[in-house]
Amino acid sequence: MNKNNKIPFKTPQGYFDSFEDRLMDKLSTEENFMPKAKGFTVPDNYFETFNDKLKGKLNNEPKVIQLYPVKKILAFAASVAAIAIIFLGYNWNSTEELSISALANTDIEAYFENNEFDLTSYEIAEVLPFTDTEFSNMLNSSIENENILDYLSDNTIDFEELNLQDNE
Amino acid sequence: MIVEETLVQELKTKHTQAQAFEVLVNTYKERLYWQIRGIVLNHDDADDVLQNTFIKIYRNIDGFKGDSQLFSWMYRIATNEALSFIKQRARMQGITDVDYQEKLVSNLQADVFFEGDEIQLKLQQAIATLPEKQKLVFNMKYFQELKYEEISKILDTSVGGLKASYHLAVKKVEQYLKTD
Repeated sequence: MNKNNKIPFKTPQGYFDSFEDRLMDKLSTEENFMPKAKGFTVPDNYFETFNDKLKGKLNNEPKVIQLYPVKKILAFAASVAAIAIIFLGYNWNSTEELSISALANTDIEAYFENNEFDLTSYEIAEVLPFTDTEFSNMLNSSIENENILDYLSDNTIDFEELNLQDNE
Repeated sequence: MIVEETLVQELKTKHTQAQAFEVLVNTYKERLYWQIRGIVLNHDDADDVLQNTFIKIYRNIDGFKGDSQLFSWMYRIATNEALSFIKQRARMQGITDVDYQEKLVSNLQADVFFEGDEIQLKLQQAIATLPEKQKLVFNMKYFQELKYEEISKILDTSVGGLKASYHLAVKKVEQYLKTD
């Protein structure tokens, strides 16, 4: 068995022939990712049937839900901020605490919290890395009338609510 | 072992996509499941989150730039999905995240898919008291036995910071198990 005479060791018969099988056996038992002593179990055949279930769900879901393009989100956020500014415009100069950044942060945050985008905050952050500077840039830049009108026509059910007369 | 680059390429190519996705699901479903289950605790919730995770992976694979490993990218999606699931549920019930976690642990006793003994239940109670980051690190290190380098890529935190978090988490868990 020993091809190299300098090494005075021997291996059991068939050791190298069966090595691969034994290694694979060991690997397959070790590849069990069941966490140690955690106590959690899964229903029988859960992992075996998971693929089919997932396929069914993938096929039933509406086809394209793309991540919102940055421009769209920016226009959107700017519109939200604009609306917030319009509604709270009266107190704008009288109250010091109502700074632009505080107002925009809370309003936009609340808007994103209360509306279902099917996006985690992490994903939004990934496409839209808000920093303080970018926030103020966005707020200082002028908002196209078109965007405001679009936003209002999409989101206003009752135009009377806007109290347009009071502002004229 | 699958070659990651090839798989990513196949996932991005229309006619190989379906098959490659199947390979991806088969390779990672169990690992991602246990990552999610460690956070949401309940099997049905873990199942929901796991499906959503794979759906998100499927939809966003084109956006995967390859600057991180596929493995850590998917882990990150699973982790974030699980965390936002918890937050959403807590908000729906009008309670804080911490209260919701405590509720989850107290539900474990009646959970048919939890067969842990008293000490394992207590361990879960201890973990529930940890801050989010420490909880994640503890689960990934202690239960899933991931390497610090891997956790570092998933959570985007330095290895040093993780070691500190893990150390603190272990101390707190030990303390909890000893005193109560």
